[in-house]
Amino acid sequence: MNDKPDIRVLLIDDEETLIEYLSKRLLREGFTVKASFSGEEAVEVASNNDFDVAVVDLKMPGMDGVETQKRLKKIQPFLQSIVLTGHGTLDSALESGKQDAFKYLLKPIEYENLVETIREAYESKVQLQNAKFREEVENIYRSGMGARGIKNAMNKLRKIYGIE
Amino acid sequence: MESSDPPGSHSKENAQEILGLKMELLQTRRYLQCILQHSNDIIFATDAGGILVSFGRGGEKALGYPREEVAGRPIRDLAVDPSEFDRLTALAQEMGNAAHVEFPFRHKAGHTIYCDVSLIAFTRAEGQTVGTVGIGRDVTQQKKLQEDLIRVDRLAEIGRTASGIAHEINNPLAIIGEISGWIRTVAGDAKGLTPEDREEIERAVRFIQEQTRRCRSITHQLLSFVRDSGPSRASVDIHKLLEETVSFLNPDLKYKEILVSINLMEGPLVMDSDKQMLEQVLVNLLSNAVYAVEEKGGKGGRIDIATARVESMIEIRISDNGAGISEENQKRMFDLFFTTKPPGKGTGLGLPICQNIIRKLGGDLSFKTEAGEGTTFFVRLPVS
Ligand SMILES: Nc1ncnc2c1ncn2[C@@H]1O[C@H](COP(=O)(O)OP(=O)(O)OP(=O)(O)O)[C@@H](O)[C@H]1O
Ligand SMILES: [Mg+2]
Repeated sequence: MNDKPDIRVLLIDDEETLIEYLSKRLLREGFTVKASFSGEEAVEVASNNDFDVAVVDLKMPGMDGVETQKRLKKIQPFLQSIVLTGHGTLDSALESGKQDAFKYLLKPIEYENLVETIREAYESKVQLQNAKFREEVENIYRSGMGARGIKNAMNKLRKIYGIE
Repeated sequence: MESSDPPGSHSKENAQEILGLKMELLQTRRYLQCILQHSNDIIFATDAGGILVSFGRGGEKALGYPREEVAGRPIRDLAVDPSEFDRLTALAQEMGNAAHVEFPFRHKAGHTIYCDVSLIAFTRAEGQTVGTVGIGRDVTQQKKLQEDLIRVDRLAEIGRTASGIAHEINNPLAIIGEISGWIRTVAGDAKGLTPEDREEIERAVRFIQEQTRRCRSITHQLLSFVRDSGPSRASVDIHKLLEETVSFLNPDLKYKEILVSINLMEGPLVMDSDKQMLEQVLVNLLSNAVYAVEEKGGKGGRIDIATARVESMIEIRISDNGAGISEENQKRMFDLFFTTKPPGKGTGLGLPICQNIIRKLGGDLSFKTEAGEGTTFFVRLPVS
């Protein structure tokens, strides 16, 4: 379990029992899991804690999955969202959304499939983040700051990206 | 005055008048004949006793009787319910006329013809009734069309209701799935369980999961039927898919002692198609075959699977030597919710969904069957 990365997952669904058991299983699997029962709650949680992957139910009272995902992306640009949809709602989700969710999964989900998708989403997040990080580092070096300025800027970047 | 006229001219004038009337009468008769010959409506007349004295071509066509065959017979005999016709006649006599929409008559061949009919009391100048004139229009076609429309409407309604239910069931289903997964994990890590107990729990959980998967596949099938999402396209190895599907069903087949033979055409058979959809079709057709073989009972149940190239199509044949399908049921096979199986064994969704899928993939689905002998289903798909 040590060579596995710590993946931080935010679960968002109004079906509390489902979320309860899903969290328990994912926790045992070695994920770090935070559960929230509405889009609004999730947005609040995400303002204070960083996550790698969000699993969002499309249909929720109040803020729906597409909207939630949009907001989360604003707060944490690299966060990857997996959206759970009922059957008929898939098309409408794709239309209204096109919000570059990492993937749409059909409900009821297969657990193994979900776990695999979370891992893929994480990989994708790390890659995006690294690419962006490299780009910014290059920008800093090209900017012609002095050694001290570079060091400061780098420290700031590291903090933003959570990269050592 | 009359006496002043010369007798010759008098009779001449009279004769002239009679001739004129005769001509007019002839003209009127021709006119009536023309109507009786060419109208598509059922036009008839009876005497006071209800015996047919006139029956037009329209009636011959609509009810299938040549005039000679019904002339002299009571018209009421042609009604599905003669006493109802009597009531209508009586009403016409009393009121002068009477009408009835969609009155059922019996066609010579036995089926029912619905007519909008009017009956008119036929009277002499002095008011004495001498019979009845009837005019009817065959509305069977319209009636059927209307009923079809209602049926299609109802079907759509059933579809919507069913998909609503399927949606609702999906959530609890997901929860059951998650909880059973959790039980397995907890039991797996638990200390102090005897190996037997551990095995028992494992088995029970496996069954719960199998059954939830089954429910899920039903709800997905139902929803995919109601909401058509287009097929995806990727290269599919048909032969591999067939073998996978059979091995997926294998435990069931072994247990039921059904012999499955696979007879594939030479070489790999790869085509652009939707693997999941095809798999759904194959599972449906094979489970139907298994059931049919079982239904027939006895030993020696067989299912043969074969592939072949037929013209520009690929054909997958699934044959069983099961119960076959009665002629009556053959027509309804692809109807939504048509099933001969007891509740819990069949929902009648399998075949309509298969047909839907195969059509979406640009192919067609057909079958040949003989009651008591067996059935073959043919899945034809365009090569690319
Ligand atoms: N191979 C077969 N042999 C004999 N009868 C068949 C065969 N396949 C289908 N049928 C008949 O057609 C009916 C409809 O089949 P269909 O697959 O649509 O529904 P089902 O099998 O009854 O239920 P479901 O597939 O939804 O579980 C069946 O109930 C059965 O009577
Ligand atoms: Mg079936």
